[in-house]
Amino acid sequence: MSLRVEGVTAGYSREAPILKGVTLEARTGLVTVIIGPNGAGKSTLLRTIYGYLRPSAGTITHDGTPLTGLAPARMLEHGIAYLLQGRSTFPAMTVEENLELGAWTIRKDKARVREAFERIYGRYPQLKERRRRPAGALSGGEQRLLEVARLTMTGPRTLLLDEPSVGLMPKLVDEVYAEIARLKEDRYTILIVDQNVKQAIGIADWVYVLNLGENSRQGPAEQFHERLDAIVREWL
Amino acid sequence: MDLSLLLDPAILSELVFQGLVRGAMYALMGVGLALIFGILGIVNFAQGELFMLGTYAMFFCVSVLGLPFVVGVAAAAALLFLVGALIERGLIEPLRRRSGRNWLIDSFVLTIGLMVVLQNLALLAFGSTRRGVATLLPGSFDIGPVTITYERLMILLVATALVLALGAFVKFTPLGKAIRATAQHPEAAQTLGIDTPRIYTISFGIGAALAGAAGALLISIFPAFPTVGYQPSLKAFAVVILGGLGNVVGAIAGGILLGIVEAYAIFFLSAGWQNVLTPIVIILVLILRPQGLFTRQGERP
Repeated sequence: MSLRVEGVTAGYSREAPILKGVTLEARTGLVTVIIGPNGAGKSTLLRTIYGYLRPSAGTITHDGTPLTGLAPARMLEHGIAYLLQGRSTFPAMTVEENLELGAWTIRKDKARVREAFERIYGRYPQLKERRRRPAGALSGGEQRLLEVARLTMTGPRTLLLDEPSVGLMPKLVDEVYAEIARLKEDRYTILIVDQNVKQAIGIADWVYVLNLGENSRQGPAEQFHERLDAIVREWL
Repeated sequence: MDLSLLLDPAILSELVFQGLVRGAMYALMGVGLALIFGILGIVNFAQGELFMLGTYAMFFCVSVLGLPFVVGVAAAAALLFLVGALIERGLIEPLRRRSGRNWLIDSFVLTIGLMVVLQNLALLAFGSTRRGVATLLPGSFDIGPVTITYERLMILLVATALVLALGAFVKFTPLGKAIRATAQHPEAAQTLGIDTPRIYTISFGIGAALAGAAGALLISIFPAFPTVGYQPSLKAFAVVILGGLGNVVGAIAGGILLGIVEAYAIFFLSAGWQNVLTPIVIILVLILRPQGLFTRQGERP
């Protein structure tokens, strides 16, 4: 029971794929972090899992269900949510409308949508307070919270987080990681790609290192704490 | 030109009414154009040809089948929704899959081509004869000094109702919200499970339906013929430049503003001058406020 990527080759052109036979597993209820130098294909891997890119070889399964070839808009139905890199709120729409759209795939089940709103507003009272304000008027940190809250409206099992702390002030980075820690307590399966290697590994259970589109090494997060500086130095 | 007439309340209210009727039409055309640009990122040069198809649909419904005015408008809008949706699915969607960074220029070439093809298809199918309807609704009434024909009033009411209905649809319905979300961040909309290709098809259909309804409403002024879309499409572009490209509310305001400016130009300078004044206003706006009169700098729809 997990998200499994096996021997995936993918990229923007068939001749020069970015990912060359990548294999990894994000195990249920754990935080898995992918690190690697720029251009290693970390974000490309997430985009491939989520169906933006079709792998030319390999398979992707979620709790045993094959995902390969499925469109991005179908992923949430399969219990996988994807936090895009950068800002992804709908800035001219209210916080409440943003959350409503988070519940798009379950919109016909009114009771479930109501429950989702209660759960999310209970968990994020600051969003409830600001529910009538346009998302674009929120602070950077609040918008990030809204993005995460919006992803969890339908109760997915697995979260893919693409650079969750990029472009945020250090104080907000801490807030984002505190929120990821809460999601971990809630037993979400989480797969993170982040430039912020120290904090990402701080929260991780398992770490994969990608280099030039291939698996480089992997292991439990503890192994990486002290060797991190040496690994990062190799990339420079 | 007698400027003292500017102060005559009878003339003023007459001109404002005429301006509103024109403006409502321009708003319909401009809103369709703005919607298509705001959501699909396409500057649709074939919007005038969609208008033209609307005039033919109206002529067929009212003159040939003898259907009532409002039924003709509804039929034209429905037909053009289908035509628009088919164009999106058949031509724009395949282009979107192949095109990348050159989307603006690729879609420009596509809609220019569409304009030429639709004009010539209409010429082949219907010939170059102008097919008009002299009056849709006879009769008029007076409010104080202003004479209002039923037909003009009906045009104003139907156009206003259409724009308001579209506004309510986009603001309050789930599908409308999905359309706005797709306009603001298509990729995020997709990650939430919104079928964005379907949203594009529906949006283009709605934009085409607005042009079709405009053509149907205006048939007593613009009879159906293959190149009838030229003037209305120029006006639509004027409206979106005034309002800010992709800004739907701006297009409504721009439409009404343009309508009133033209009504004044016709009255005080004589007919024909409105076609000089419009480009002058556009050039001034492009020089002084290229983002549009009703858009803040850097704002997205």
